[in-house]
Amino acid sequence: MIPQLVTMRYRRPDGRWRRLWVPVVPVALVLSPLLLLAVVGGLIVGRCYGISPSGALRGAGRLLWALPGARFEIEDGRTALRIRVS
Amino acid sequence: MDEQGRQILAMLAEGKITADEAERLINALERVQPEGPAGTGPRGKSRPRYVRVLVNSDDDGSGDGPSRINIRVPLQLLRAGVRLTSLVPPQALTRANAELVKRGVPIDLTELKPAQLEELIDQLDEVMIDIDDPGSKVQVFCE
Repeated sequence: MIPQLVTMRYRRPDGRWRRLWVPVVPVALVLSPLLLLAVVGGLIVGRCYGISPSGALRGAGRLLWALPGARFEIEDGRTALRIRVS
Repeated sequence: MDEQGRQILAMLAEGKITADEAERLINALERVQPEGPAGTGPRGKSRPRYVRVLVNSDDDGSGDGPSRINIRVPLQLLRAGVRLTSLVPPQALTRANAELVKRGVPIDLTELKPAQLEELIDQLDEVMIDIDDPGSKVQVFCE
């Protein structure tokens, strides 16, 4: 399953938390023209360097599908960043 | 690893219990939950799905306070990343090899096959790295 929601929490040095929820599918839909351009550009660059376009797309898809469940939490003193993909 | 085992590790990571206490608790847990059929063991019930990296370090004197890193990466993501290595063109590997040799690291990247890397990831569920250092603690394990 592709990621549905990316949750970001950021604690600023003053101790206040900032939260950001990113619904992946709607955001991807909104940005789809740019994404399409990026994909086409990536495929052209890949072709120049001898990378198989189908393999690259398959690999990127696998990476995307495997992302749910990933969690990154970094705290340093009063600053903290937490990212969860679900 | 089951929920209780994870709780013990979390308490250890948070510094609520010592490594000795955690070991005693895990041993007690294994006594309460006898092993399944021969060869399966307590880990045999379900395959781990995530690699977890925990780093806790005390204040290094800079006054920023303690640092903590908690990373959970799905094993599937590692596998997907490893499969991407098969896309690297041979010319790039040759150039990378030449640069590595130039820097005194004679590793032949063309000998690294994706199947071998995948096998390496498959064996990761047995890996448990525990580094205790005065002022910092690093744990790498699968769950």
